Amino acid sequence: MPIYAPSLPPKPDLSLGQPPALVLARFDLKRILRQKMGRFFGFIFTFMLIWRLGYVYLYYLKDQNAVIGKMMDAAAPVLAQGAAWHADMLGGWLTYLLWFLVALIGGGLVARDTLYRVRPLMYAHPVKPSDYWIAKLGLSALVPFAVLLLFALLPWFLSVGLTGLHGVMWASTPLRLVPAALIIALLMGSVASGASSLASTPRAGIAWVIGVALGLEALGGMLFGILGSGAWMAISPMSLSAAWPRLLCGAPGGFFGWGPTLVGTAAHFVLWTLLLKNRTQPSEAVL
Amino acid sequence: MIAFESLEVRYPGAKEPALKGMSLSLEDGIVGLLGPNGAGKSTLLKTLLGLLEPSAGGGQVLGVGLGTPAAAKLRGRIGYMPEYDALIEDATAYEQVAFWGELSGLEPEAARDRAHEVLYFVGLDEARYRAVSGYSTGMRQRVKLAQALVHSPELVFLDEPTNGLDPEGRRRMLDLVMKVHAELGTGVILASHLLGDVERVADQLVILDKGRISASGSMSGLRKALSKRVELRFLDPLNASQEESLPELGALHEARNGYYDLEMKDADPLSAFRWAESHGAVLVQVTPRHDRLDEVLLRALHPERSLESEKA
Repeated sequence: MPIYAPSLPPKPDLSLGQPPALVLARFDLKRILRQKMGRFFGFIFTFMLIWRLGYVYLYYLKDQNAVIGKMMDAAAPVLAQGAAWHADMLGGWLTYLLWFLVALIGGGLVARDTLYRVRPLMYAHPVKPSDYWIAKLGLSALVPFAVLLLFALLPWFLSVGLTGLHGVMWASTPLRLVPAALIIALLMGSVASGASSLASTPRAGIAWVIGVALGLEALGGMLFGILGSGAWMAISPMSLSAAWPRLLCGAPGGFFGWGPTLVGTAAHFVLWTLLLKNRTQPSEAVL
Repeated sequence: MIAFESLEVRYPGAKEPALKGMSLSLEDGIVGLLGPNGAGKSTLLKTLLGLLEPSAGGGQVLGVGLGTPAAAKLRGRIGYMPEYDALIEDATAYEQVAFWGELSGLEPEAARDRAHEVLYFVGLDEARYRAVSGYSTGMRQRVKLAQALVHSPELVFLDEPTNGLDPEGRRRMLDLVMKVHAELGTGVILASHLLGDVERVADQLVILDKGRISASGSMSGLRKALSKRVELRFLDPLNASQEESLPELGALHEARNGYYDLEMKDADPLSAFRWAESHGAVLVQVTPRHDRLDEVLLRALHPERSLESEKA
């Protein structure tokens, strides 16, 4: 048990601290890591990652072992390692689960501060509104980016480590998947933190994010069905997040191309970031 | 410590300014900011924190001009305890006080050390690792005070610090406020609508009403300036003509056995002697009546009504 002085020591140096945005993001990250949902998502993502790493390893074994090689040759038609397979590293169930994770994390980030009324007190400290929204958006994007980065790089490292640059994964895979991971993470982060700013409780914030993601997906599907143009699907942030790895890897298929993807992503990012910025301005105050 | 001249603050879209032409200079100490709800206390605190920009006039807080870009840095030198419950419910007192310390500019290790120290200072050392959602009202107020003090501010703004506290909790909080100034040397601006709180701790007083300063000064000076109530003792009871002309001196409240309780028009007691001399009376004693603070406040806010209500 430490023994404390009866009164406070001399005034500390206030110029040594970290940037306020970093302090805000670190505090929220600690709270997120304490939550139990991390165990669930950690288990799911680890399982998915092991599955994909296992595939890369089996492909390597094919060349080393005649029996496995024959089996893999037989399965080759269903185990394509082309552009679509690479794009799928950041797609499929991973995207859906990540949207759910981002909703749970980002949906409460701003709404919790609104509920506890701590934002005005933050602005009574040397914190600018830009510090606040950068911290919230940054953290909402950092979590999915960290997960996506594992899926983009670990299989590639394994492939390169086992078979060099001529293995199951392309040498250029990181150049395609890392930018895709960054764009997807920023898209998810902006939607989650912007939607969270519309809510006054964390639960409502989570509902907003899930509602926006699923609602726009459904709306995009309806417009596609009615108007016959797949470009309408680009209003859905979920479809946009699935489109980026596909386009960057050059995989065929998909309902829309580069144009709608670029416009849709930029529109969502700007819209939700502006919403976040405006909704978290200090009320009445001019800073 | 704080000085402002013709300060006017207008909220966006408001017809009337919230603060109207305020001029004041405050010295280091505990300053009580007193006034009814809606008088402009919180607006003044926000302006001094640099959260609101003056629409006219200006001033300085700790040598930094209001409305200047340096005002943002100034917030690191000021502590603010808000009136409302601004606590992060799922965090412990220690976690959030350290967090506020870091936001004020402390490095993480220093913020953690000072969080322990300041929680000890406010009497929460035993409970600091518990989530604040389980705290009593008094403990919550003390966490708010701790977060305002964690970075050793030169000046601290306390907005209604005794809100919702029972008498014992109020006494403890006011003791802490006095300790903050006495032991840490921090200037304190205490905004309250509770007269007793201000009377107990403040050595300077500013009374606000409808966005204007009704009265300001040291507690004793303010009482003296506002208190024109005196008791005059004459050697012999006044005769009828002398009593008739007594209103020249002030409003009579009570007369008995040569003692006259009146509210003088002029605060200077010598004017009573001059009146006595000119009317052939022998005035032997002038005793100022020390008003309670609520009487002072009433006079400052409603000078025309205070006398009538007392009579009633």
